[in-house]
Amino acid sequence: MTEELVVDVDTLREQVREKYREVAVAPHSEYHFHTGRPLAGKLGYDAAIVDALPDRAVESFAGVGNPFSLRAIRPGERVVDVGSGAGFDSFVAAALVGRSGGVVGVDMTAEMLEKSRSTATQLDYSRVEFREGFAEALPVEDGWADVVISNGVINLCADKRAVFDEIRRVLRPGGALQFADIANGRPVPPEALRDIDLWTG
Amino acid sequence: MLEDTGFTDVRIGPPVDTFAGATGEEKAHAFEVFGYAFLARKPERERG
Repeated sequence: MTEELVVDVDTLREQVREKYREVAVAPHSEYHFHTGRPLAGKLGYDAAIVDALPDRAVESFAGVGNPFSLRAIRPGERVVDVGSGAGFDSFVAAALVGRSGGVVGVDMTAEMLEKSRSTATQLDYSRVEFREGFAEALPVEDGWADVVISNGVINLCADKRAVFDEIRRVLRPGGALQFADIANGRPVPPEALRDIDLWTG
Repeated sequence: MLEDTGFTDVRIGPPVDTFAGATGEEKAHAFEVFGYAFLARKPERERG
């Protein structure tokens, strides 16, 4: 099924990259959203897990909810984090799956990937891997994941149907999609939907 | 859209006023934008 896209995919991706490049390199600047440890606390993340993470794993966190709140990640599970950013949710998932599990974070922003990969090295987390890619074309084999997580990312994708189709492809039968995202209670006017600046803030 | 794309057992958590106190709060409240947790499952057997 084809869905009419209201914005240009490549233009939106570049604007999203630009915004989150800033969040990666200047996490303590002021943004239209909250970031870091205060945000993780506000969203109800497990304090013991967050407290154990180094600042660089948490400071660029810019999620909009808690993807772990409706279902617990189990030891040994294989998790894909769509739009992993600087890796915060991937590292939380890694703590939950333990040494017998695995986590693959996927992001399209070079600065975020550089940060998440160096943090994984610092933590000696060999069970976490970060790969470059798009939500609509995940670099993960069919049916690999027990769980797919994401946080505040799908709303930034122009073709949401393509994202959900791709998530379904990488999940095993019976696998779980648990994500957090924003939704609006009032309709956004069509002219605002086409204003790409509003998608990123 | 989750069910349209083949997911089942969809659950949605309570709204979180994720932009409260941030500079995006005014715009978020204008359109009643909140954060939500979502849970869905890929069926054991895909629809034909």
